[in-house]
Amino acid sequence: MNAKPSTTRRAFLRSVGAGACTLCAARALGEDVAGPRVTGGARPQAAVHDAMWFERLPDKAVRCTLCPRECVVAEVERGYCGVRENQGGDYKTLVYGNLCSTNIDPIEKKPLYHYLPTTTALSVATAGCNMECKFCQNWRISQYRPEQVDSLLIPPENLVRIARNRASPTLAFTYSEPVVFYEYMHDAAAAGRKQGVGSVIISNGYIREPPLRELCNHLTGVKVDLKAFTEKFYAQQCAAHLKPVLETLEVLADIGIHTEVVVLLIPTLNDSAAETEKMAKWLVSHMGPDVPLHFSRFHPTYRMKNLPPTPVATLDRARKIAMDAGLRYVYVGNVAFHEGSNTYCPKCGKVVIKRVGYRTDASQLRDGACASCGTKIPGVWTQEQALAFKPNEKASPKPARAAVTPSERSESRGLAAGRFGQRDFSARSPRRPRSK
Amino acid sequence: MARCPGNLTRRTFLARAAATSAMVAGAASGLPLTSCAESPPPASATSSGRSRVVVIRHDALAAAGRGPAPQRVRELLDEAARALAGDAKPADAWARWFKPDDRLAVKVNCLGLPTKPAVSLGLAAAVGAIGLPPERVTLWDRTNRELQAAGYTLRGTGDAVRCFGTDALKRRRNGGYSADVYTSGATGSLISRIVTDESTALASAAILKDHNLAGITGVMKNFFGAIHNPNKYHDNGCDPFIADACAQKPIRNRLRLALFDATWPQYQGGPAPRRQWQWPYGALILATDPVAADRVGCEILERKRAAVGMKPFEAEKRPVRHLASGEARGLGTANLERIEVVSIGRPWLDVG
Repeated sequence: MNAKPSTTRRAFLRSVGAGACTLCAARALGEDVAGPRVTGGARPQAAVHDAMWFERLPDKAVRCTLCPRECVVAEVERGYCGVRENQGGDYKTLVYGNLCSTNIDPIEKKPLYHYLPTTTALSVATAGCNMECKFCQNWRISQYRPEQVDSLLIPPENLVRIARNRASPTLAFTYSEPVVFYEYMHDAAAAGRKQGVGSVIISNGYIREPPLRELCNHLTGVKVDLKAFTEKFYAQQCAAHLKPVLETLEVLADIGIHTEVVVLLIPTLNDSAAETEKMAKWLVSHMGPDVPLHFSRFHPTYRMKNLPPTPVATLDRARKIAMDAGLRYVYVGNVAFHEGSNTYCPKCGKVVIKRVGYRTDASQLRDGACASCGTKIPGVWTQEQALAFKPNEKASPKPARAAVTPSERSESRGLAAGRFGQRDFSARSPRRPRSK
Repeated sequence: MARCPGNLTRRTFLARAAATSAMVAGAASGLPLTSCAESPPPASATSSGRSRVVVIRHDALAAAGRGPAPQRVRELLDEAARALAGDAKPADAWARWFKPDDRLAVKVNCLGLPTKPAVSLGLAAAVGAIGLPPERVTLWDRTNRELQAAGYTLRGTGDAVRCFGTDALKRRRNGGYSADVYTSGATGSLISRIVTDESTALASAAILKDHNLAGITGVMKNFFGAIHNPNKYHDNGCDPFIADACAQKPIRNRLRLALFDATWPQYQGGPAPRRQWQWPYGALILATDPVAADRVGCEILERKRAAVGMKPFEAEKRPVRHLASGEARGLGTANLERIEVVSIGRPWLDVG
């Protein structure tokens, strides 16, 4: 293996310059925000918005139908995610546009390796998550409630404008768990699509099928964190279940949207050869051999500081097992200068996309194919291809529980529009989960 | 001017060395090294080993609207404290649980049906009998907004009782919560800096009310408002999470007193206020054992529910599980047969 390149003076200066530009761009995002800077403790009323997926229960309780938890939430209480609240029998999201993280990242950082390489993504997040992973790298936002973090209020249209101004072809909903800010993500992705900006989510995949299918009408790519391949791990380390995540992956395959899968290997907990092999075989049989799979390195954090970082040898072993199981594009992540970061042509074995840190050389990819042998490499390689995506025409299953009626929603949307003072919801079709 | 650490006298050095040796020896022998301020609450058990809970009832407590006057609450709390401690003078009783140099943080519950300000202020006035200045008492909950909505007047300075939310300390990072994650059983949380930084003693001043998942919201669940992520801990009827949150070291080591505002409890439809299910029980409940206090509160709500023809919590698939979990963690007594209920005024089980 000879993957460690010598850094030239020119390359070094280029990296420093790029880093400085990224920092400046991130700071400059503030020019385009619509609302006031909201500090922790206050409740930004403008970010309160009707939730899309819930049903009403007796005594002003509601059942959230967005994620598999299906929280039953009494009046004044919040769901597990901490960002949805029952206000007088109406279910509200408290984080519509209430962004606690905004940054322009290389798309490779998501990681999405088969999606517009060398481009950037305007990456955003709100507080909250519908899991509680003890190893969460972003727990300072994902495990917080909205009023506990500093946030910027950026309506969907403004987010799209920022992306266009910064020449980012993609919005990335990431860092915490985008499922919990579904409504904002949905509207921003829809607005972006109309203006030539694609949208990807970096998610734990803990979402029910109807909202997922509805959302995929507007997305152009998905990355799913498959935390492990055992129910025990999900229950003990994430306060969740494996089955709904596998169902999400199956639905994504059915929809046909570009999907990549990431597995964070944690020593002794989910890194056994048997589990890796089982997982890889499942992915081959349910998503096909071309789904990119990333094995990522764990670092101690949050409530899991008693385990060491994942040995690189473990990642190498997992990569080999997955490739032996039939997966063609298997990567190693969170390890600098590793040959497993590159994309290799499955036919001729040449490097098609070379990655060193977040620097990417895709010059050997020509029209989505290996420059050496012409083998097609699966992925989304142009913005036109991204924006042309439409979900497979299989009808969405009818939601088990209908959300609020269109009339109720359009009425309350008008109120929300007034808060921003610049949205005209009346001109848009009622947002209703797609049904048969 | 602060003394330069380099100017150690021989006497100072020897004194410090001796103190350090004593601490090491104490640790080796298993003795606790925590300061007196962080020592566990004194036992409230009677000579028979039973936990004592005092229920004091009075017509003045059943007054509608904003509730009784804090002075009246103070008088009744003094009487309850004497009964709880078995002392002749209120000051002697309060002195069993607090010291004049304590910084007392009184956790109120402002979510939905709130703890009445008169009750919390009455407690602050009562503990003043031992010489604890009012400015060393803080009434608090999660946010200023919730406190104000519940009728509390915010106050961060001055020589009166202080009142503010955890979010008032947000400038200390983490939205006013501790920098470290505290782990207890199934819970892992940041804890309000009002607990970790601003107090040496805690009292839980809860409202007695129904809860749609846990059965009741009591003095134990009140501390869900002390952690940053209570939304993560409502599965399985909030069990074992309520007990685990209460057993978090900074809370457990400071908790001295449990007080129920049972002036107008709510036996159904909680935690949001539902006027039709509240009734003028007119009581304050005082204990040092939070589990026993919750057990007695639970019994009162169950009796009331039975009296109006409602099913028990268990039959509604929301049994009050956290009592047994609390006892298993050594937080107190869950078995009513091992609790001595001292009833002052109308009998405590007369829920009509």
